[in-house]
Amino acid sequence: MTTINHQHQDANTPATVLPIAPSKQPLSTAKSVDTQSVLKRLQSELMALMMSGDSGISAFPEEDNIFCWKGTISGSKDTVFEGTEYKLSLSFPNDYPFKPPKVKFETACFHPNVDLYGNICLDILQDKWSSAYDVRTILLSIQSLLGEPNTSSPLNTQAASLWGNQEEYRKMVEKLYKLSA
Amino acid sequence: MEFLGASECNLGILETLSDDTIQEITESYDGFFTTVESIVAGTGDSSVEKEFASHVYSLCKHGLDSLVRDHFLRSLEQAFEKRGASSFWHHFDAYSDKNHPSYGEEIKEVLCKALEEISIEKQYHEKCLSVVVHALQSFKDQSPEARLNSDVERVQLFSRFRSMLSSTLMTTLPQHFPEILHWYFKEKLEELSAIMDEDDTQERESDCMDLDEKLRSKNGEMDVDEGFSRHDDLVKNIGKVVRDLRSIGFTSMAENAYASAIFLLLKAKVHELAGDDYRTSVLGSIKEWIQTVPLQFLNALLSYLGDSVSYGTTSSGLTSPLACCPTPSFSKVVTPSEGIVRWKLRLEYFAYETLQDLRIAKLFEIIVDYPESSSAIEDLKQCLEYTGQHSKLVESFISSLKYRLLTAGASTNDILHQYVSTIKALRAIDPAGVFLEAVGEPIRDYLRGRKDTIKCIVTMLTDGSGGNANGSGNPGDSLLEELMRDDESQENVGFDDDFHTDDKQAWINASRWEPDPVEADPLKGSLSQRKVDILGMLVDIIGSKEQLVNEYRVMLAEKLLNKIDYDIDTEIRTVELLKIHFGEASMQRCEIMLNDLIDSKRVNTNIKKASSQTGAELGENELSVDNLTSTILSTNFWPPIQDEPLELPGPIDKLLSDYANRYHEIKTPRKLLWKKNLGTVKLELQFEDRAMQFTVSPTHAAIIMQFQEKKSWTSIDLAAAIGIPIEALNRRVNFWISKGVLRESTGTVSNANVYTLVESITDSGKNESEELLAGDEESERSIASVEDQLRKEMTIYEKFIMGMLTNFGNMALERIHNTLKMFCVADPSYDKSLQQLQSFLSGLVSEEKLEFREGMYLLKK
Repeated sequence: MTTINHQHQDANTPATVLPIAPSKQPLSTAKSVDTQSVLKRLQSELMALMMSGDSGISAFPEEDNIFCWKGTISGSKDTVFEGTEYKLSLSFPNDYPFKPPKVKFETACFHPNVDLYGNICLDILQDKWSSAYDVRTILLSIQSLLGEPNTSSPLNTQAASLWGNQEEYRKMVEKLYKLSA
Repeated sequence: MEFLGASECNLGILETLSDDTIQEITESYDGFFTTVESIVAGTGDSSVEKEFASHVYSLCKHGLDSLVRDHFLRSLEQAFEKRGASSFWHHFDAYSDKNHPSYGEEIKEVLCKALEEISIEKQYHEKCLSVVVHALQSFKDQSPEARLNSDVERVQLFSRFRSMLSSTLMTTLPQHFPEILHWYFKEKLEELSAIMDEDDTQERESDCMDLDEKLRSKNGEMDVDEGFSRHDDLVKNIGKVVRDLRSIGFTSMAENAYASAIFLLLKAKVHELAGDDYRTSVLGSIKEWIQTVPLQFLNALLSYLGDSVSYGTTSSGLTSPLACCPTPSFSKVVTPSEGIVRWKLRLEYFAYETLQDLRIAKLFEIIVDYPESSSAIEDLKQCLEYTGQHSKLVESFISSLKYRLLTAGASTNDILHQYVSTIKALRAIDPAGVFLEAVGEPIRDYLRGRKDTIKCIVTMLTDGSGGNANGSGNPGDSLLEELMRDDESQENVGFDDDFHTDDKQAWINASRWEPDPVEADPLKGSLSQRKVDILGMLVDIIGSKEQLVNEYRVMLAEKLLNKIDYDIDTEIRTVELLKIHFGEASMQRCEIMLNDLIDSKRVNTNIKKASSQTGAELGENELSVDNLTSTILSTNFWPPIQDEPLELPGPIDKLLSDYANRYHEIKTPRKLLWKKNLGTVKLELQFEDRAMQFTVSPTHAAIIMQFQEKKSWTSIDLAAAIGIPIEALNRRVNFWISKGVLRESTGTVSNANVYTLVESITDSGKNESEELLAGDEESERSIASVEDQLRKEMTIYEKFIMGMLTNFGNMALERIHNTLKMFCVADPSYDKSLQQLQSFLSGLVSEEKLEFREGMYLLKK
């Protein structure tokens, strides 16, 4: 999982160099036309996300690269993750939205479907991806995943086994969250 | 060196001495000692002198001349110490523990007497010395090898004596003596100055004399002469003191004393002349005074002392910068010696510096009444040119600005006014604008933090004719002037198509070039970029001319909408002037607005003409079209207009639609779309016992018109009839209540008041409340203000800012600005200036949505 992720990020690098300002970019190749539409899509997603006003989820492109976003989700109420806040990184491929973005936890997250490196096992980020999804739905999905893990195919077996004991699990989350904070 | 040589010689002699000679030496040595004593003590007569001379001769013969000299000087010194010095100082013992003011008159005499005594003492000692010199001389005359040095001998001996004398006095100098001297000169100079003043007034008096009194003018001249002779006496008196002091080796002390006295007097004079009046130039009179009193005194003193020799009479190229000024006619200085010129330069520099310090300390006040105080500014300019202490000005002025102007208590208008005056005043002092740059910076920074700055500037720019009631000068006027001033110096005028003018301008600029003053900050760009342009500097505060133009547009719209007579001459002129400064393009919308007004006028007359031709009969309740004038706007070019629903009463509505129909007939396919809530209504209310005239907004008119049919309305019904929200109604109705036209009473239904028409003044009984609720009108505006528009746009960006801060923690202003520029590109794209963003962010901080810590913004947790 990790290695694939890395390769993908490498492949992304050339795209990140492209300047963002769309009007000044000469549309010379088919690829850059694609890039233009990806840019547009990401910009409108950003606008939608900003205007949506969902609480507990947020994301914003990094400095000068609209293909790399930082995300923030906070644990929903009445879950063991309540009161915690997690940073995510989202990196979008050149052919977004036909391929899903790579999403990772930047803050350590003790969760059955998140491994030690922050990789997430979520169907819509893999085989169930659809171009109808967007940043907002991805973030909402991850937020709900926190409260409702899929313990049948865990990445973190310790977490999966502890999930049954919610009180202990809460303590563990708190302990690890404090460590990472 | 010389002494060493003499002792070597002595040793040589000692070897060849015979008993006889030893005997001779011892005898004459003893004799020498006794005669010296009696000579110094003054008890000896001519026989003693002869004896003394023979002893000296014999001693010299054996090469002991140095012994003679040393011993004689030593005994003189002892004698002087014993009698001269101690008795001299004794005169001043009484004053040792007194302060200057209590010295009293008698000290002057004491000083003179003491000096006289010591001079006599000294003369006597010199006489003794000359005896020795004579004795030595007579020996030397016989030994041919030393003849050449005869005069050298004398000079040497006397100079040794003098230094011995002054060192004796110096070592026993009491501490208060310099003070006494200082005081003495001060008193004497004041006396002298008083005499000069007297002369002055006398002269003036004699000038003023009538023709028939001309005969008496001789007396006047005699008085003047008397004045001069008194003056001469005084100078002689002082001169004598100075000479005596010099003779006892107090040259520098005396000079210090009278110099400091002169400076003190000069300082007092400058303060007296300059004072707190900034309307007159004082530099001239100060210079004149320097010429009359201290310089003339010095001249007299130096010539009395015969000092021109010591300073060298050959006047070098050293001339006063004021040499071109004609010296006052009564001055006796014809060819000033170098000493006098030096003194003059010193005094003038001191005067300039004093005046400069005085003016700089009061610069704030001077600038407050700038146009009146321009002569003080002119003085200051000259002083600074001479002293070059511009940095002093900058520092002191900035600190007084911070302390007195840039505070919460000062109104923005006042700050701007002061800023403009500062620009003008400093432009006079320093045309290059270097110091203005430094001084203006804090003001600009401060003004940027004020919300109403733009509005004030625009008002100042455009409201030149508007009566500024508070009488503190009219800044608007000056700014309008500024708009008109040297149009061609503006670079953004659109010269692009006119190469000729461009070249000419470039040539003028080039020929005017002057190097920056040394104080210029090289980081702040060269002269060419630092134009002293008041308008430019004001725009600089705002950040961009677009903002200023925008604000102006809103203000213009407001003004135009409230016009009923289409008279827009002043507006046209202002727009034309602004066009010169900000370019055609940016003023285009304003021009269209003005054109709308002109077109409206034409259309209005056309429609009225058409209506009078058709000559339609008017029903009883119908109004003639003549009562209506319209302003037809090209909405796209006007600032957003606040829309408020309003149902007009039937007759008015019919009138409007008639008008609109006629317009449609004339201008097919165009149609009129009424903005019913805008404009003004002139109406007259007729009651049983009185008639009142008002000019009000359409909403107010609609309200009061409803009472034509029905005397009493509940607020709910009234609001429904007019079609405005009930809160708005309540607000508007207050106007009529305050005028005593309506009366409010609590209705049966909760929350619904009843308004009743007050038909006769007798049953109103509440005339006194008339003024109470006035003033509501001012807060109502038909145009959304620039701030409101900005706030609306900014709320969209607020979400973006919140979003980025959630994900990045904390960010600096610049980064937020750049990120918004980069990612907020969809409609409405981010196009704000850094200043606008900053003020918006500080708004968010004050709403406790954000925190600002160490230059970074972060979310308030």
